[in-house]
Order: sequence, then structure tokens, then C-alpha cells
Amino acid sequence: MSAGAWLELIASGLITGGIYALVALGLNLQYGLMRILNIAHGEFLMVGAYLTWMAQTSFGLHPLAMVPVSFALLMALGLVVHRLCFKRLAATSPDLDVFEARGLMVAFGLMFLVQNAVSWIWGGDLRGYDFATAPVHIGNAQFAGNKLIVFALALLFALALIVLLRQTLYGKGVRALMQSPVGAQLVGIDTERLHPLMFGLGLGLSGVAGCLLSMAYTISPAMGEPYTVTALIVITLGGFGSMSGALAGGLLLGVIEALGMHFSNPSLKALLSYSVFIAVLLLRPKGLFAK
Amino acid sequence: MSTSVTRRSAVQALAAGAATLAVPALAQAAPVRVGYAIARTGTWTGGAQVSQEPNYLLWAEQQNQAGGLSVKGTKRPIELISYDDRSEVETCVRTYEKLMGSDKVDLVLPPWGSNANFAVAPLANRFGYPFLAPTALSKRLIEMKLPYFFLLLQQPAPMTTALVEMLKANGAKSAALIYVDDLFGLENYAALKVALQGSGISLVEDKSYPPGVKDLSPVLRSMKDKNPDAFIGFTYPPDTILASKQAKEVGFNPKFFYASVGTAFQLYKNVMTPAGAEGVLGMGSWNAKTSAGAKAYFDAHTKKFGGKEPDRWASGHCWAGLEILTAAVAKHGLDRKAIRDYVANTTHETIIGKIRFDGSENVATPGTVSQWQNGEFEVVWPKTVATAALNPAKPAWK
Repeated sequence: MSAGAWLELIASGLITGGIYALVALGLNLQYGLMRILNIAHGEFLMVGAYLTWMAQTSFGLHPLAMVPVSFALLMALGLVVHRLCFKRLAATSPDLDVFEARGLMVAFGLMFLVQNAVSWIWGGDLRGYDFATAPVHIGNAQFAGNKLIVFALALLFALALIVLLRQTLYGKGVRALMQSPVGAQLVGIDTERLHPLMFGLGLGLSGVAGCLLSMAYTISPAMGEPYTVTALIVITLGGFGSMSGALAGGLLLGVIEALGMHFSNPSLKALLSYSVFIAVLLLRPKGLFAK
Repeated sequence: MSTSVTRRSAVQALAAGAATLAVPALAQAAPVRVGYAIARTGTWTGGAQVSQEPNYLLWAEQQNQAGGLSVKGTKRPIELISYDDRSEVETCVRTYEKLMGSDKVDLVLPPWGSNANFAVAPLANRFGYPFLAPTALSKRLIEMKLPYFFLLLQQPAPMTTALVEMLKANGAKSAALIYVDDLFGLENYAALKVALQGSGISLVEDKSYPPGVKDLSPVLRSMKDKNPDAFIGFTYPPDTILASKQAKEVGFNPKFFYASVGTAFQLYKNVMTPAGAEGVLGMGSWNAKTSAGAKAYFDAHTKKFGGKEPDRWASGHCWAGLEILTAAVAKHGLDRKAIRDYVANTTHETIIGKIRFDGSENVATPGTVSQWQNGEFEVVWPKTVATAALNPAKPAWK
């Protein structure tokens, strides 16, 4: 294989990995920080994808203009969902384990609700649109323009989130919340506000991921679930609650899959992903990048 | 108190009067209950809601507008009893057991896809309900020799033979193949291998992929390096589009680019744009130019569903199946054994041409290849049923 071919192969793995990382970030906020195992994460991503598709095909809006819009809409939806479901659960659950179990049930319910609502509104057909599919040449390699945009934005959002959590007072509050919810309250961190905000942020990020995915893939009401599964693998790889871990884990998984597909067979992709997953669980159960 | 009673009786009287007025003459005949399960949610939905359920709805509406389905000369309204099978084989089987076993509907219409049909086919036989399946491709299903089960689509052997004949006639010497890892992909792969024997076309690469794949570019890049004359994909709609988009992305543009389910969908030209789809080959067997009936069906479908076009493959076969069923019921009423015998032993005239069954297989419709040309999916092979001439060199992706 020539150097150019290697470059193309690894870069295409990184691009897919960037998408995985973006999908995983939102879920990592919710599960890693708040112990809400939001199984419906992929469904909210799907809502973001449908909103973008509708804005593009019905109103002629530029898909990139929908990135902030779907972030804002999904974040608002997240605040509502948190108020209606998870706030009450947090108030009535005796401890964190019970909260997690109940939260999982609620998330399952949300999954069906959202999926069926979208089927009802937009129907079950596959949808898609053409956006920036012309190949872009980089050296000897070439990539679809839309994939490069998706990759760049995925990196941007991941880095922004990492900086937000590391450098700002808010971020410190969130990390304190993660380490010890009671301790955080004692030192005056307003958990009442921080909790819904982080949940909303997680959903907003899933909206962004959906928006970006709709630029490169066909969408359908059933599209979400595989992304939820991938996101779970990625955050396990990277370590719960670690944003840089999720980014690195996503990129790593993308590259492993691309190499595996090239040298064996795409049908073995699931086998590869799960082998990596199981190996990490056995050898480094706290994640590849845990300190 | 007394006023309220008066008001209530007045309302009751009005309602009764309205009900009497609302009963049209045809509703006095008992409805023909037609049951089916179809995917409205889950992974099969994209195919089912393009190739199948819209046709069922259109058929029932057209028949009812014409006074009802003719049952041996008596017009009776069609009542559709339908369920979402959630793209699950078990749900599908259970629903058909309920429809045929306990609801005892008059007729059933089949579910979507090879897998679901494979699962319900033995039931159709057990309960003695004729099934005219519009979306099932499987040699094994035919080999089961189920007398009540009929497959309307051309099967893998004729489809792949037509493809190979077309490639050979146009000088192709090599091909690269991807196929989805399920019944559909595997059977087509096996049939293609047989069809390629002695054709002089070599298979330079063949790779399978799992349903729901998100990235095929590593495979397409290695195929591009081998520079085959033809690319063949036995693919489902999302993968058909993924493979096309990614072929464009990596600059893989062989002279013949062939993909399977979904190339015949309106979605394909919407997503790829008509210019981008130009020259792409795929599984298709008819379009509005095929016959006057096909044109009327195409127009009625597009009108009823707000611009949504039927696909140029299975939708036509689905409609042909409904035409056959309508004719059978007109002639033999709801005697399901008589309907089965009629379907099995008659050469049917339909919008896609003649249909005749040998066992379960439709042997009258030849294997076909279609191609996107100027925003229409034209049948280009064999020449006897072609709606346009083949363009033997695909232009660059746009």
C-alpha cells in the first residue's frame, strides 16, 4: 500500500471516529456526569437530523445554519424533559443507584415516544438531501466536502466542551458535582440549576450531531439506536465523564474499524468494535485514558 | 330537568337522522375484510412505506370509490385491517396468525421484505390464504414449493443473469462486488457467481457488509485501485445511497455502477440529484412508459400521496399483484382455494406485462436492468422490455 493510500484510510477512519466522538459527548455528559443513562440519546439525535432535513428541503435553509438552531431547540427540549422527568426522579429516588435504574426506564419510554412521534409527523420513509458531496483533494487523497465539515465541527464542539469543563467556573462546578453531589451543594454550587443545564447541553449536542449526520447520511426514524450503542462503547473506551477520553476513544474506534474493514471484511466490523470493547472492559475497566 | 331531557332526546333524534342519511347504499353489503402487517416503524420502514403500503391504501381507495370490490359481481367495500409489525419477524408472524387464525379475515396482503415473507410463507399455506408477495427474493422460498405462496418479483437467477448478459454484451471484463450479509445479499451473490461462469467476466473483489453499515469507503478505495469495469452492489436503500455517495467521494467511477434496492426509488434521485444519478444502474423493471396502465397507476399514486412517486421496481409488481387479486375475486368470490387455483393457472395481464407462475415463481417477467437517465429510471435491458437505450459508459459523478 502506498503512503497516500494509508493516509486516505486513516483519515477516513478519523472522520468516522470524529462523528462517533460527537455522538458520544452528549451521552457522556448525561451518563458520565449525572448517571442518567439516556438510552433515547440516539432518538434526540434523530430529531436534530429531521429538523435539519425539513429546514433544508421545505424552507431551503442552509444545513450549516441549522447547527445552532438544532442545538438551541434540542437544548430547550432537554430542559423540558429534565423538568418533567428527571427532576422528579432525582427528588423521589432514595439513592443514586435507584435513580440510575429508574432513569433508565424513563429513557426507554422516551425512546419509544420520540421515535413514534417522528414517524407520526414525518412518516417512516428514508430521507436525505444533497449537500457538499463534491470531493475535496488533499494531497493525493480525496474526501467528501460534507464529511470534512462534519469532522471539523465535531472536533470543534468536542474541544469547546473540554475547555468549558476544564477552564471555567461552571466546568469546575460540574466536575465537583460529578465527584460528590452533596459536597458540591455544601460548598454552594447551585446543583438545582446546573443539573438541568447539563442535561439540556447533552441533548443540544445530540441535536448538533443529528444535524451534522443528516448532511452525510440518509435518515429515518429508526436511525438513532445504533448511534446510542456506539456512543456507549466510546464512552466506555474513554472513561465515564471524561470528554477528552470520549474524543480519543471515538477517533480510535473509527481508525480501528477502517483498518479492520480494509484488511478483513466490513461484516467483521461489529466483531472488531465489540472485541475492543470487551478488551477494554477486562483490562482497563475505568477506560483507556483513566488516570 | 325536563328541558335537559328534551334537549337530550332532540340530540338523539338528530343523531339518528344523521346516521340514517350517512349510510350509503354500498355499506349495506358486508365489507371484504383484508388484513396485513407492515413495517411502519423500525428498519424495514423505508422499503415498506415506498414499495408496499401506499399501494394497498391506493388500491382500497380506488376500489371503494368505484363502489367496492367486485366479489363475483357483487360490489362490497374493502375494509383494511392493518398492524405495524415494527420490523420484527416475530411480531409479523404473530400478527398474521391472529389475522388468519382468530380474526379470520377474508383475504390477506403480504408483509415487506424477503425475511418477513420467508417467515410467514408457511403460515399462508397452513391457513390456506393465497399470498401474492411483492417484495421477496429467495430461491429457497421457491424450493419450499408452497402452493399458496406466489412471488411477484423476478428472482436472483434471472436478475443476475440479465445483469451479466448486459455487461458481457457491452464489453465488461471485470467486476467488483459488495453484498449485504443477509438472505437477500447471499442469494444474489450465489446467483451472480453462477451467472458469471463462462461469461469471461472476472470478479476482482467481493466483500460482504453488515446491514446498517455506516462507512464503505475503505472497501470502495481498494476497489478503485483494482479499476474494474463494473461495480455491483447487492444493497438495501440506505447502503445503496451510502455506496453511491462514497464512490463519488473517493472518485470511484467504473463504466458500470450497479446497486440494488433503492436505486429505483424517487429518494435516490432526490439525494444524489438527477445529474448525480445519471448513468447509475440498478434493479428496476418498469416505469410510466411501460404501459398505459402503468402510466395511470403512476399518476394516481403520485396524486394521492402528494408527489410521492412509486418506485420503479417492486411498487409496479405490488400493483400487478393487486390487479391479479382483484380479478381473481371478481371471478371466484372469496373462495380462497379457487383464488389460489386461478392465480396459479392463469397468464395474467398486468401493468408490468404478462405474469405467469410456475410453482411460486413468476416466470413471465424477464430479469431486467434499469438506469437513471435525465431524472427517469429507464429499463435498459433486455431490449424487448426496454424503455430507453443503455448508456454503456457512466459519466463522472456530479
